Amino acid sequence: MAAVNGQTEDRYQGNTPAVAPSPKQPLPAAKSVDTQSVLKRLQSELMALMMSGDPGISAFPEEDNIFCWKGTITGSKDTVFEGTEYKLSLAFPNDYPFKPPKVKFETACFHPNVDVYGNICLDILQDKWSSAYDVRTILLSIQSLLGEPNTSSPLNPQAAQLWSNQEEYRKMVEKLYKPPSAA
Amino acid sequence: MVSDSITNASIPCPNVKDLGKKKRANRSAKLKQCKLDVRREQWLSQVKKKGCGEEWTGDGLHRDASNGSSENVESRRERGRVEANGPGSIHHDSDLELSPSNSPISLNSILGSNDSGTNYSGSGSSSSSSADCCSGNITEEDDEGGDDGCLDDWEAMADALAANDERPKPPSCPPPPQDLTASNGSGMIVGGENLRSGTRATPAAANTRAWRPDDAFRPQSLPNLTKHHSFPNPSDRRFVNGGISWAGCNRIFNVPTSCPICCEDLDLTDSSFLPCLCGFRLCLFCHKRILEEDGRCPGCRKPYEHNPVEGEASVQGGGLTYRLTRSSSLMARP
Repeated sequence: MAAVNGQTEDRYQGNTPAVAPSPKQPLPAAKSVDTQSVLKRLQSELMALMMSGDPGISAFPEEDNIFCWKGTITGSKDTVFEGTEYKLSLAFPNDYPFKPPKVKFETACFHPNVDVYGNICLDILQDKWSSAYDVRTILLSIQSLLGEPNTSSPLNPQAAQLWSNQEEYRKMVEKLYKPPSAA
Repeated sequence: MVSDSITNASIPCPNVKDLGKKKRANRSAKLKQCKLDVRREQWLSQVKKKGCGEEWTGDGLHRDASNGSSENVESRRERGRVEANGPGSIHHDSDLELSPSNSPISLNSILGSNDSGTNYSGSGSSSSSSADCCSGNITEEDDEGGDDGCLDDWEAMADALAANDERPKPPSCPPPPQDLTASNGSGMIVGGENLRSGTRATPAAANTRAWRPDDAFRPQSLPNLTKHHSFPNPSDRRFVNGGISWAGCNRIFNVPTSCPICCEDLDLTDSSFLPCLCGFRLCLFCHKRILEEDGRCPGCRKPYEHNPVEGEASVQGGGLTYRLTRSSSLMARP
């Protein structure tokens, strides 16, 4: 699992374009400052997240890397995901929060907008990203995505198809669900 | 001799370091502290000459000053003697002391406060010496601030400044420096004005309450003077402070203390910077960074329209610039 995470992170950071030097801004200084400010931002996000005490979501950095977090969300009440808990990984790029973190399900999740690798199709993690979002809002968004999938552009067509039949869907969720501890 | 003590006293101000956290406050604090030290020196020298006891009697006498009793004349004569001993010191004292009173007058005229009115328009006995007016102001200070002097008071002030800084209240921190430096500057440089204001302020003695008998270390209460003069009374002070940042005054309540993007503290420029009509604020650095990348406001995801909105921010929300922003956004949209 750790290897997977490392890959994820490496891949992601590899994909992160080196910040293009702008003629206006003295870049070398800006870049080192950036890392500092990313750290500061992530630290204060962690603080805010722990203070907020939102039910059903949590996240914490991995032991030695604050750029890599593990989060959990629980399925909301009155949805087919009620009673389930999902583990996610969040990998923050060096230019966070100007770029979104890479968020993946670590626990298999049978959901129209989550593929078998755990990739999530969620607009705010892509083109609708805003630097005003943070871990908390991401996790809350994913939590609400569970109960309100966008079935028009599914990553998991089978799940999208089954969504209309909530009873069957619930059964499928229960059948495929593996508690995060076992994952 | 006094001028010597001034220079000596003004350089090593021990308190300044306590206040050093706030750079802006520090500047004014330094100036204030210098003045305080100077004044303390002067008073100490005065007290040495006079002895404390006389001051206490002077207290009663002073209250009579407005009534024009004969005792008062005596006391004044005594003071006059002291003055004759060290005329430089006392004149200088009044000089320094009154210099800030220039600013309250102007401030009050602006703010419509009548506090200084009571100070300065007290009795008609404008013949009293400058020493008189010194003690008058000081006793009044004494009522307000208590005896234990500048240290506690300054610490409290510093705390208040820090506290105000943390909360996005009307910032009492940034404004005072401008205020004080302005007033201090005029006071220190322009001697002639001070003399004039000295004559104007002299009647203040009439209002003053006397020293209390337990004022063994009166000079320590002197430091309050500067504060008092600069800010006629606490409520005024608040008003003045809030008023300096008129621009941000209303908004400041909505302004976050730190940039939501980078979590760094917003400075005064940042917090008066409103780059988007949606009201989302961020620091100038992050704004610049966003402009270089996708250029959309993090709050509403609409593209920043830099020029008009930046104009708006610097002009502080004129209707014209607002319209400009609107129209340009309309043009950009279709």
